[in-house]
Amino acid sequence: MSNSTSHHPSSYRDPSGFVFEVGGVYYRQVNYVYQKHYDEFIKSNCYKYFTEKGILIAHEETAEIDLNDEACYKILKPEQINFITYPWEWSFDMLKDAALLTLQIAGASLQFGMTLKDATPFNIQWHKGKLIFIDTLSFEIYNPQAPWIAYSQFCETFLAPLLLMHHTKKPLQSLMLAWPDGIPLDIAKALLPQKTKFSLHTYLHIHLHSKIATKSSGSKTHHTKFSKQKFINLLSSLEILIKKLKAPDSKTTWSNYYDEAAQRDGYLENKKALVEEYLTQLNDVKTAIDLGANDGQFSKLLAFRKISTITSDFDATCINHLYHAINEEKEFNIQPLVLDVKNPSPSIGFNNKERSSFLKRAKFDLTLALALIHHLAIGKNIPLTMIADFFASIAPNLIIEFVPKEDEKVKMMLSGKKDIYINYSEAAFEKAFSKHYLVVSKKTVGNSNRSLYLMKRNEK
Amino acid sequence: MQNWFLYIDPGTGSYLVQVIVGAVLGVAFFFRNIKNAIIAFFTRNRKKEDENKTV
Repeated sequence: MSNSTSHHPSSYRDPSGFVFEVGGVYYRQVNYVYQKHYDEFIKSNCYKYFTEKGILIAHEETAEIDLNDEACYKILKPEQINFITYPWEWSFDMLKDAALLTLQIAGASLQFGMTLKDATPFNIQWHKGKLIFIDTLSFEIYNPQAPWIAYSQFCETFLAPLLLMHHTKKPLQSLMLAWPDGIPLDIAKALLPQKTKFSLHTYLHIHLHSKIATKSSGSKTHHTKFSKQKFINLLSSLEILIKKLKAPDSKTTWSNYYDEAAQRDGYLENKKALVEEYLTQLNDVKTAIDLGANDGQFSKLLAFRKISTITSDFDATCINHLYHAINEEKEFNIQPLVLDVKNPSPSIGFNNKERSSFLKRAKFDLTLALALIHHLAIGKNIPLTMIADFFASIAPNLIIEFVPKEDEKVKMMLSGKKDIYINYSEAAFEKAFSKHYLVVSKKTVGNSNRSLYLMKRNEK
Repeated sequence: MQNWFLYIDPGTGSYLVQVIVGAVLGVAFFFRNIKNAIIAFFTRNRKKEDENKTV
C-alpha cells in the first residue's frame, strides 16, 4: 500500500463511503453502514443491468489496497475517468441528457427494489464518448412509502438551470458555478418569467415547491406516506418537462465562422494539411486539448489518430452543436467542453478544493491553439509572455497559429479601439514563446499571412 | 425511514411538496390517460378506415 493516499476533497458528504486516490488511481471505499444497500445493489442485478446498458461506470472489488479503516466494508476500483468535467463546462443538451439519465436510472432501478438517494450533475461524467453515471453509492434500497429524497436536489441542480436557459435563451452555465449545490428555488422562481406559472409541471416543481419550502421553513418534517405510483408520476412529470426544454441556439458570432473562413480560398484546407503534417512529426501524443475549437473540425484530425481530445470553446452553442455531431458520428475520442481560455474554470467549494480548476486538471500531451492568439493578445490585452506561460503549463507540445496585425480579422478588431499593441508581432511572439518552447517547424498557411508553428516545450 | 442515509438535506418542505405534487399529478395523469385512450381509439378507427380505403 502506498503512503500517498488522499481522500478526494469533494467526497465527504455521504457516510456510505468515499473516493480516494493512490498513485494516480481512483478507488471507492464502501463503508459497513452501506453494506446492506451495496449487497442488494449487486444481488438484485441492478448493477449488472445498468453497467450492461453502459450507463453506469463498471467497477471491480479489489483487495490490492487496504486503508486499515475499521469502517471499510469493500474497496472498489472503478473504470477510470480520463478528464473530470463539471456542469458549468457542459452545453445545454449535455446537462439535459445528464438530467434525463438521472431520471432514467432513478426510475429503472425501482424494478430492482432500489432507487437514487441523490441527484446531482456531479454524479455524471464523460466516459468513452458519452455521459455516464459514476456514483455507485448513490443507490439505496427503495422504501415504498417514502417520497424521493433527492427531489429538491434534482430540481435545484438540474431543473432550475435548464429552465432558466430555456426561457432566457441564454447560456447560463456560470449560474451553476455561482451555486454549485443547485440554484435555490426562490432565486430560480424570481428569475423565471411569470408565464411559467401557467405551465403545470414548471409550476409544481419550481413555483409551488419554492412556496411550500418557504412557508414550511422551520416546521417539523412530515413523514406522510407516499406510494410507488406517485413516485413514478413524479419522475415522469420531471421527464416530460425536461424533454420539452430547448437549447438556447441563436446564431452566434462563431457558429458560422467556418462557413465564412472556408470561403477564403483554400485557407482551411491548407491549415488542415499543415496540422496533419505536424501530427505525423509527433510521437507519443495520447491526449490533447483543442482551445477555441469552434465546431471541432481540427479535433477530428486528432480523434482520427486515436488521440483522446478535449474540444473546447467558450461558445456554449458551438459546443452544443459539437455534442450532437459526435453523438451522431459516434466519435468516441472527442470530449466537448465549454471553456473560456480568458477565464478558465476556477477551483471552488470547501477549502477551494472540492471542484478543481481547469489548470489543475489540464495535463495533456498536446495543445492545439488555432486562430486564438489574437483574441487573447488583442481582444483581452493579455501580454504574449503570459499567454506563453499559460500554454507551457498545460502541455509539452503545441501547435499554434500566429495571426499578424495585417490580418483582416485583426484589422477588424482594431478598427474600434486604439492600437496600443506595439509589441504584437511575429518576432515578439516567437521571443515570448522561446522562454518555454523550441520551434520545431514554422509554415505559412496557404496564401494568408498567418503562420502555423509546431513547438516543443524545453524540458528542464 | 433510515435517517442516517439522509445525508443530503431533502430540502425544507420537500416531503410535503411531493405529497401535494404527487396528488396533483395523479389527477393530471389520470385525465391524460383518458385523453390518450380516446385519441388512440379514434386514430385506430381512422387507421382502419384508411387501410380499408387503400385495399
